[in-house]
Amino acid sequence: MHPEKTSFGKGRAVAVSLAAVTLFVLLWSAGGRFGLFNPLLLPPPEEIWATGREMLTDGYRQLPLLYHVAISLGRVIGAFIPAVLVGVPLGLAMGLFPVLRAILDPFVQFFRPLPKLALIPLVILWLGIGEVSKVFLIFISALLTVLVGCAAAVGGADRNRLRLGRALGATNRQLLRYIVFPGALPEIFTSVRLAVGVGWTTLIAAEMVAADTGLGWMVLNASSYMRTDIVMLGIILLGLTGYMLDMLIVALQKAVVPWDGKA
Amino acid sequence: MYSLFLRITVLVALSVVFAASAAFAAGSSKPAEVRLAYLNGPRPWILGKADGSLQKALAVPVKWVNFASGPDALKAVAAGEIDIARAGSVPVAAALARKLPIEIIAVSGVIDSSERLIARKDITSVKGLEGRTVTYPPGSTAHYALLAALNVYGADASKVKQAPLKPADELAAWKRGDVDAAYVWGPFSNQLEAEGGHELLKSGQLQKDGYYLFNVYVVSKKFAASYPDTVSAFLRAFRDTVNRYKADPDAAAKSIAAELGQDAAAAKQTLAGLEFPDLKEQLDTKWLGLGKSESGISKSFADTARFLVNLGELSRRDLPSSFAPFINSAFIAAAVR
Repeated sequence: MHPEKTSFGKGRAVAVSLAAVTLFVLLWSAGGRFGLFNPLLLPPPEEIWATGREMLTDGYRQLPLLYHVAISLGRVIGAFIPAVLVGVPLGLAMGLFPVLRAILDPFVQFFRPLPKLALIPLVILWLGIGEVSKVFLIFISALLTVLVGCAAAVGGADRNRLRLGRALGATNRQLLRYIVFPGALPEIFTSVRLAVGVGWTTLIAAEMVAADTGLGWMVLNASSYMRTDIVMLGIILLGLTGYMLDMLIVALQKAVVPWDGKA
Repeated sequence: MYSLFLRITVLVALSVVFAASAAFAAGSSKPAEVRLAYLNGPRPWILGKADGSLQKALAVPVKWVNFASGPDALKAVAAGEIDIARAGSVPVAAALARKLPIEIIAVSGVIDSSERLIARKDITSVKGLEGRTVTYPPGSTAHYALLAALNVYGADASKVKQAPLKPADELAAWKRGDVDAAYVWGPFSNQLEAEGGHELLKSGQLQKDGYYLFNVYVVSKKFAASYPDTVSAFLRAFRDTVNRYKADPDAAAKSIAAELGQDAAAAKQTLAGLEFPDLKEQLDTKWLGLGKSESGISKSFADTARFLVNLGELSRRDLPSSFAPFINSAFIAAAVR
């Protein structure tokens, strides 16, 4: 089923979403104005807006606001690219070779649900307090997500096509290149998309390691000074940037795997 | 059978009414429970936790809640989960500027050598930190002391590489050689010395240049207004624990360390690095003062808040014209009467 073709069209969906967000902000603002909640616990949107404008001109802690956004993006992308480069081939190999899967699976399943905050003391001891330890924490979370997704994606290849390919004398390499990989690609993209989300989520943990830059650090630091306005601003920026990253991957997916969702 | 049931019902009803009126007769001045926020630093009032004497003195159930840092404890006060908290002057200054509904009721201790700047052996002066990496717990009194020290001793803060870390992580970074100095409190400062560091400075040395670092007790305004007698009783109980500590520092340090699960020798050293101004003395304008006029403590808070504004942590529009209205020495006055 394609949503575009139903009576509730895409344009309408966007309009309803926008209306929902606008209504939410208006209620939030009205709640603040009529003193329904303590502005310290939930600053009204006007205050967050004022803080945002203040920080666009003055920056946060001597550095421009956009620099904090950029460095956080840099950390996540810097971890995400190697995670994909290592994770996709390794995950596919795990899907193809049961022995490899049997070897790696216990480690993957052990580390994947582990809260990454628990790793911080070890990461500091092993990798220090520089950028490497921050990027590593994000890398490991993204990698594990990609591994699991890609190992499962191999199953997405059509059995009949594989048999047909073998009957026609295709080599293992050709089978991988022309049948397994294209068949798995939609699911690979799904796991990559999940990995970006997971990586972005791990950012706060990563920026707990001796950081003095980045959006995650900004939120943590502002909270020690009760700057709930900056905390909210940081959360909004974290959410929007994560949203944009996700949209980017979806756009890439549409360009690379146009056959996804088609029989 | 029926009459027995009736009699029991009447008896129960009567006793409930009696109990309720008894509570009312007490001026309804006692809360159902007092929730205290304590940090991991060894302090005399922990004696009152260890043997339950504080609960006994307040004559109401006391709930002790542990927090990793002052800002965390103050956030819990903001959320209405804590009635009385101990926190450092830096997070309290930030909380007051951000209009947290709290009052300062007493100084719980002045930081002298309980917080120190520990550096590698080849660094012999504060100025020697230029070009090196220093770590500190962000938003703490130690953070403030470090920046004050750089200022007092003429070191260029922009040339000192700063690494904000939680105290336990500072030790890991030190062992790896990632940091060359750390401004931190005990027992972590003692551990750094054991790992080859030496003392460059203690916070008390900054006092002559006007930088006072101290801990205070804060109370939520609502609690203070509803139960003033309990707040005064708390301060009397606090004074008792300080007196017990002063009477026998060794034994006190031992039971405080045991209660917090820490090393007794390090706890003793931390406790010895604190000054405990007498409650009566705190009514002097050098400390809290009487009434709502400016005092030493209110001026210290103003200095600290201005410092946080210059650092970019607080917004200038949040700065109150005076911190005196946030200080309420009436509870000390009642406690020492």
